Amino acid sequence: MRLRSISTVINAPASPPFMAGDATGAGDAWGQLMAAGQDGHGGAYHRLLGELSVWLHRYFARRLPSGDVDDAVQETLFAVHRRRHTYDPRQPFGPWLAAIAKHKWIDQLRSLGRRPQEELPDDMTVACHEAAVTSASVLASLLDELRPAQARVILLVKVQGYGIDDAARATGLSPSAVKMNIHRGLARLATLVENHDDLD
Amino acid sequence: MTSTDALILQLSSGLPPVKRRRVSRDAAALLALGAVELALVVLTAGLRPDMGRVIGAPFMIWKIGSLGVLAGLCCAVAIRSFAPPTSRARNLKIVLGLAVLAIVASLTVTPPVDLARPLMERLAPAHGLICAGAIVALSLPLMVMLGVLMRRAAPVSPRRSALASGLAAATTGALIFTVRCPMNDPLYIVTWYTLGVAIVSATARWLLPRRFRL
Repeated sequence: MRLRSISTVINAPASPPFMAGDATGAGDAWGQLMAAGQDGHGGAYHRLLGELSVWLHRYFARRLPSGDVDDAVQETLFAVHRRRHTYDPRQPFGPWLAAIAKHKWIDQLRSLGRRPQEELPDDMTVACHEAAVTSASVLASLLDELRPAQARVILLVKVQGYGIDDAARATGLSPSAVKMNIHRGLARLATLVENHDDLD
Repeated sequence: MTSTDALILQLSSGLPPVKRRRVSRDAAALLALGAVELALVVLTAGLRPDMGRVIGAPFMIWKIGSLGVLAGLCCAVAIRSFAPPTSRARNLKIVLGLAVLAIVASLTVTPPVDLARPLMERLAPAHGLICAGAIVALSLPLMVMLGVLMRRAAPVSPRRSALASGLAAATTGALIFTVRCPMNDPLYIVTWYTLGVAIVSATARWLLPRRFRL
C-alpha cells in the first residue's frame, strides 16, 4: 500500500506528458526530431530541445524547489545532448527522456543534500515562498515517506526557503541536527526515487 | 534570451551527426573478447585432461549449462541497462533467483563418491583460492570492456548497471574457466566460483560508477 502511494507520487505526470506524439512509437514527433538531430540536422534539434525544455521545466517544477528547476532543466538538456547517440529511433522517445529526467532529478536531490544551506535574501517576498511550496508538490508529497523530523526541516529549508536558524527555532532542534536531518532525508529521498522503476 | 535558450542555441549550432549505439555491436564486442580469452586459455593451459570423458556427466552439464545460462542472461541484462529506458531492478532479481536455483540444482548432480568425503577435503581451500583467482583474472578484461561500453552509453542507474556488468563479466569468466578447471564436486564449484563472482561483482559495483556523469 505504501509502495503504491510512492509510485503514484513518482509517476505524477507533468501534464501533458509528451506534447508531441503519443510516446509509443507511431507518431512520436520528438523521436523523429531526435533522429534528425542524430543525423546532424541542427534546425530539428533546436526545435526538439526547445520543446523539451518546456516539458522539463514543468517536470522539475513539481519535483524540486523552484530555485533548482533551471539547473535541473539545463543539466538534463546537456545529458540528452551528450547521450543522444543512445536513442533508438525505433523506440518511443518518451520513456528514454523520462528515464534521463528521473536520473537528473535524483542527482539534484543528492546535490541539494550536500549543498551548504544558504540564507535567503532579505527582499524575498511571501509570494515567492508560496510559489515554491506549490511548485514542488511532488517533492512535498514524497516527504511523507520520510521521518517527520526530516520531512519538516526539508520542507522548511529546501521547499519554503527558511534559514537553518529559523528552522531550528521552529522545530526545537539544534542547527546541526537540522542540517543532518536535511542531508539524511534528501539522501533517503533520492534512494527512494531511484529504487522505483515505474517511471522507466 | 534566457540562459536555457542560449544553451539550446549552443548545443544545436554546428551539430555533427552521431553514430547510433547498437546493442548488437556491444554484444558482438563482448562475445569476441570472450572468444579470445577462451582461445588463450585453451592454447596456453589446455583443456582439462579428461574433458572428453566427463563432458556428458551430469555435474559437467550442470556446471557448464548453469554458468552458460547465467552468463548469457547477465550480459543481456547489463548491455540493455546501458541505455534508457531498460534498467530495472527486477532483471537483477531474476538473475539472482536463477543463481539460487542453480545452486539448489547442484544437490541433484553431486556424485555419491563426493558426498562421502570430509567437508574440508571436498572444499580443497588451497586449490579453491587458485580457481577463484583464475576466475577474477579472466573476468577483469571483460569487466573493463563492459565498463567502457557502459560509460559510453547512457546508464540511468549507473550503480545497477555496474553490478550487472560485474555479474556478467564474472559469470562469463567462470564459464571460460570451466574448460580448464579439473574439479567435479558441485560444493567446490558453488563455493569457490561464487567467491570469484562476488569479488568481481563487488569491484565492478564500486569502481565502474565512479565519477560518472550522465
